[in-house]
Amino acid sequence: MDASLLNIQPTASEPIYRQIVEQLRRLIAGGQLAHGELLPSVRDVAGFHAINPMTVSRAYGIAESEGLVERLRGKGMAVIALRKAAQSESQRLALLEPQLEALARHAHELELPAAPVLRRLTRLLGD
Amino acid sequence: MNAMLRETETAAPLAIHGLAHCYEGVNVLAGVDLVLEPGSVLGLIGRNGAGKSTLIRAMLGLLEPLAGSAFVFGEPALALSDACKARIAYVPQQPEALAWLSARQMLDFVGRFYPCWDKGFAESTLERWQIPPNKLLAKLSPGERQRVDLIRALASQPELLVLDEPAAALDPVARRELLREVALRAGESGTTVLFSTHIVSDLERVASEVAFLHQGKLLMRCSVDETKERYARLWLPARMSAAAPNAGLSRRRHDDGSLSLVVERDAQGRWPEAANLAGARVDALGLEDLFVEIAE
Repeated sequence: MDASLLNIQPTASEPIYRQIVEQLRRLIAGGQLAHGELLPSVRDVAGFHAINPMTVSRAYGIAESEGLVERLRGKGMAVIALRKAAQSESQRLALLEPQLEALARHAHELELPAAPVLRRLTRLLGD
Repeated sequence: MNAMLRETETAAPLAIHGLAHCYEGVNVLAGVDLVLEPGSVLGLIGRNGAGKSTLIRAMLGLLEPLAGSAFVFGEPALALSDACKARIAYVPQQPEALAWLSARQMLDFVGRFYPCWDKGFAESTLERWQIPPNKLLAKLSPGERQRVDLIRALASQPELLVLDEPAAALDPVARRELLREVALRAGESGTTVLFSTHIVSDLERVASEVAFLHQGKLLMRCSVDETKERYARLWLPARMSAAAPNAGLSRRRHDDGSLSLVVERDAQGRWPEAANLAGARVDALGLEDLFVEIAE
């Protein structure tokens, strides 16, 4: 994987370390990163994006604790890709959490009750 | 125990206590405390005239404050030894020293005073940053002068790097390169960095910590990530403004009677109760927005 694959928005309200973890999660879930592929080194990511190396280490540490990557001695971080079917429903649902939270917040701001929002969402999901 | 605390504190790259200063009766610094840990990158933000340069100069002993004390690597800032000075590099906003030399002459001359001078870096960066090496410093533009001074500071491989508004003189490409140098040196060589800026996105990239200098005091000194996660703007429509929490870093009433407040999560990570009222809105804030909310 190349450091340029990460898209860092320093001015976003989401901290940079969370942007990195979130993108790794998506790249792995979406299959763009294959099992065993090495992540760029902390130095490469920090250098390419001109960000603090501690921020990158922190993101990698979280990815490791979530089981997205593993630390290979002397090589760096390698992707652990689970086949989609092997991921539990709750793991896959967790990927949607930020969008669901945003949806709930907007509905709340518009003072919409849950029922019509859920009805509409159910139709969008096509069930 | 106390003696131990004292020991670690005095060995810090920078430590100031109760620093106060005024110009013509106007308080610029009103009791500032700050201790910088080795390897940290502190971004100092503040409006023009907030006293950022005064604070930096007082920290380094270039100005005698009215009250308070400043220590650099444990030595009183007003009486630094030569050995201590060799570990520091400071780039002022408008460098003026040695103007009768050319850029290359100045770097050759100054380099002899530093034990770890990186001549190769100085030469290659002069070229990359497009500085005519043989032109007198006095004939360079202010931006070019500051770039030469940044090269001087980085080539000395300091343990403490202090930059006053370094971004002002650099184009976006050179600025990114400077940030990369700052970030990697802090991460790998453990260089401690303090830089003031009004370009908040630079600070969001490389700073590990941020401090707002506002009305002579340092506000909200914490990590950049924590700042983004812990503070937000709460907006309440006019009919609900009575429910506004009393605490709040800033409070602004709009013409339509609605209210904006900067609020902070409590120890359990919850926003104040008013945030859960129907019609209330909580907006996550980038650092720049947060700064504007507080400084206005």
